[in-house]
Amino acid sequence: MLTMIVRRLLLAIPTIIAITALLFFSVTTILGSPAGMMLGQDASTDAIAALNARYGFDRPAIMQYGAWIAGAIQGDFGRSFTTQQSVARAIADCIPVTLEMTLWSILLATTAAVILNTIPVARRALAGATTAVNLIGITVPNFMLGISLIFLFSVWLGWLPSTGWAPWSDGVAEHLKRIIMPVLTLSAYYFGVFSIVYRAEYRDVAQRMFIQVARAKGLSEWMVAFKHALPNAILPVITFVGITIGQLTGGAVVTETVFSMPGTGRLFVSAIAGHDFPVMLAIGMLIVTGVILMNLLADIAYTIVNPQIRFD
Amino acid sequence: MRRLRPVIGLLLIAAFVAMALLASVIAPYDPFKSSVEVIDPPSARHLLGTDELGRDILSRVIYGARTSLIIGLGAAICAMGIGVPVGLVAGYFGGRVDMLVVPLIDLFIALPGLVLALIITVMVGPNLLNLVLVLGFVMWPSVARLVRGQTLALRETLYIEAARAVGGGSAWIIRRHVWPNIMRVVAAQFAVSVSFAIFTSASLSFLGLGIPPPTPDWGGLVRAGFDFLSLNPLMSLAPGATVTATVMGFYLTGSSVR
Repeated sequence: MLTMIVRRLLLAIPTIIAITALLFFSVTTILGSPAGMMLGQDASTDAIAALNARYGFDRPAIMQYGAWIAGAIQGDFGRSFTTQQSVARAIADCIPVTLEMTLWSILLATTAAVILNTIPVARRALAGATTAVNLIGITVPNFMLGISLIFLFSVWLGWLPSTGWAPWSDGVAEHLKRIIMPVLTLSAYYFGVFSIVYRAEYRDVAQRMFIQVARAKGLSEWMVAFKHALPNAILPVITFVGITIGQLTGGAVVTETVFSMPGTGRLFVSAIAGHDFPVMLAIGMLIVTGVILMNLLADIAYTIVNPQIRFD
Repeated sequence: MRRLRPVIGLLLIAAFVAMALLASVIAPYDPFKSSVEVIDPPSARHLLGTDELGRDILSRVIYGARTSLIIGLGAAICAMGIGVPVGLVAGYFGGRVDMLVVPLIDLFIALPGLVLALIITVMVGPNLLNLVLVLGFVMWPSVARLVRGQTLALRETLYIEAARAVGGGSAWIIRRHVWPNIMRVVAAQFAVSVSFAIFTSASLSFLGLGIPPPTPDWGGLVRAGFDFLSLNPLMSLAPGATVTATVMGFYLTGSSVR
């Protein structure tokens, strides 16, 4: 078990280095050059040379990457081209917002999906409704969902503030008012995906022998559902969550933009729009690292909850 | 409901394709022509109102179908063009090719498609052709994974073994025995890819990093209308609804094939 974790962790390091290198070279040489992007196509050669010299883009690409990754490991991602502020600092300010929204969304999506597809009564009475919500979650784009919620709850009913952010220090009520719509928006897609996979697994499990035995013993439907079917149906879903969790970052980018939240996603969009390379690269690396670690975490969780699996 | 799914899906697709092809006939105004009637609320003359340059929103929404159709079909064709051959080769021959392809596919699938598309699009420059290529590039791994899995399963069947026993070459077996058997699944994946491409390109445009104005594009229209949500909610909800309906149509059609 421990060997597996250590081996996977060691394997993750070269993967992260390879992908960030690819990302770095794509942005600096393969797909275009920072100078070309920032100055436009009509820039004079002198201007391009001056900009390259100023930011060190005239050095060989491999050396640029070496310097960048060496800094990145120490938590130094350079300074933003547009604001001249420390990139690490700017991102550190944004992470709590994104992390909180994402965690609430995963929690809400998974709990709701499991409950709706496990409770015997809900499985029968709400099956059609759950199917419809699954479909809505998967196909309605985040921006459409977010804007619809704003229209309904802010413009029409006037219950919630439309956009913006309030930290916990502004009071719990104020904070929750600002975060509820983003969380609903972001969790919808994940709810749909999770619900479909879990429902299919549950149907499979429900037909197995041990479920019939549990029923024959005289256990209530609730006991059968939660103690016997749920733990077995949820196993494959864990792996699935690990693989798809990266997709949440795309949703977070859109959701933060809709609700003007000071999170990493919106910072990423403005960095891309403003061709702010250090910020773009740093957040790109953060996403890649996060995705790889999440996959690893899901694998580990899978081994822990399923004693049948052994990696040696 | 099971049986209704593909019917609803195909109806939505038909409506979308008709809107795109007949845009010049059904649109009441020129989608690019501005007027002095700026941000007019919905009226008999302008059913969805006008935008900040006085352009008819309904006409822009109708023409937006064309942009989405080109991107959706184009990107899905690109994804198939790379994904199907890669999946067939990796699945049928296995071995070293497979060992090289599978980690690559896994890696790509783990990375968020929207973020990947964002980075590449801004580097190569956002225009229609580039968006088609970028989205195709982002989507091919899921196609390849599906085709590989299907091919892998088929390879072990008796009739393929028989075909090999009578001396059939690999290319012939793939063409005559493998391909016809996976065509249905590939067609379904094609529909799902179209829905993903339209979904993602609309999201890119909404972020202001997709098709540049003045080309009518649903994501861009939603973004433009967002600022006027309290004045004329339809300005952003109408194009939002058309994207949703189109994505739903392709998704329903694709996901009903099993």
